[in-house]
Amino acid sequence: MNETGNHMQLKVNGKEHEVEVEEDMPLLWVLRDELGITGPKYGCGITACGACTVHIDGMAIRSCSMPVGDVFGEVTTIEGLGTPDALHAVQAAWIEHQVAQCGYCQSGQIMAAAAFLEVNPDPDDEAIDRALSANLCRCGTYVRVREAVKTAAAKLRGV
Amino acid sequence: MKKLIFALTGLTAFIVVHALAEEEEAPLAPLEAGSVSQEDGLANWAKIHEVFSHPRCANCHVDDSGIPMWSGPSYGKTRPHGMFISGGETRIGIEFVQCGTCHGRENSPTPHGPPGNEVWLLAPAEMQWFDKSSQEICEQIKDPERNGGRTILEVAEHVSHDPLVHWGWDPGPGREAAPYSAAETTDSILKWQAAGAPCPSAE
Ligand code: FES
Ligand code: FES
Repeated sequence: MNETGNHMQLKVNGKEHEVEVEEDMPLLWVLRDELGITGPKYGCGITACGACTVHIDGMAIRSCSMPVGDVFGEVTTIEGLGTPDALHAVQAAWIEHQVAQCGYCQSGQIMAAAAFLEVNPDPDDEAIDRALSANLCRCGTYVRVREAVKTAAAKLRGV
Repeated sequence: MKKLIFALTGLTAFIVVHALAEEEEAPLAPLEAGSVSQEDGLANWAKIHEVFSHPRCANCHVDDSGIPMWSGPSYGKTRPHGMFISGGETRIGIEFVQCGTCHGRENSPTPHGPPGNEVWLLAPAEMQWFDKSSQEICEQIKDPERNGGRTILEVAEHVSHDPLVHWGWDPGPGREAAPYSAAETTDSILKWQAAGAPCPSAE
């Protein structure tokens, strides 16, 4: 318990958590260090890479830079997107296309893609690039990312 | 699409609250028409133009491509926002990646971290004046079709009260603030209006 901290409730992946942290602690720190949810990764800490992307009420957010006190809804991380038995369409497409290389950026890529497809279910190449170019991949998986997004989009549309 | 509607509803709710908050401020009183000379009116327009054409203001007053601009001492020439970003038709990037994905409620304290504000969005496309001349912007500011549906007094009130406009004078580390202040710029707009809102001749 942090004596100088603030008591906060946070719903992550459907489960309520109570944490005792400063309001300005980045959400990523709370997820990884307080709750042990390590899917979201630390890359840059200034919203420049996307490795830490999670959802808040379905919207993609860079958790490295959002103070936990500003969290405005339920948080979903890659751990809560699907299950091994019931993968999210984006996760299934990622496997189908074997997108990951080292994997470090991939939870961020998948979370960004899943949020994007909720609002843009039939994107063209330009829209995909606009939506995902802020998620960097040091291994250069971009071509497979684009193909997997198309596959996931088709699956989500039921075609 | 459900989430898009939700997001738009949320934004709409915010904008309504935001607009009401603007209305709650004490209304500005216009100066007496003719109480400022043409010459002083033009001098005040020159100050207004310095503010409106400053990167902290103009970089988000872009066309319907929705591509915000980046500029500053370390960028060299003004250039499109990195990461292939577009605010799209929604002007908040809902159809691609929402501005709020990276731009939080406050400026990042880290150099090159994202600036922030309680709301982060592009000005409507019809209010594009990035790259326009002083004369063009001057005429545009008087035209409700291209200034957000405002009278000149309402433009002054917008500059006086709007938190995102005020961000231009508090842009976070590593960014040059707009010149003057919100209060001085509001004062200049009122004086310019009292002079009959004169515009410079085409350059
Ligand atoms: S770690 Fe958050 S965007 Fe890079
Ligand atoms: S898979 Fe290695 S950084 Fe993207």
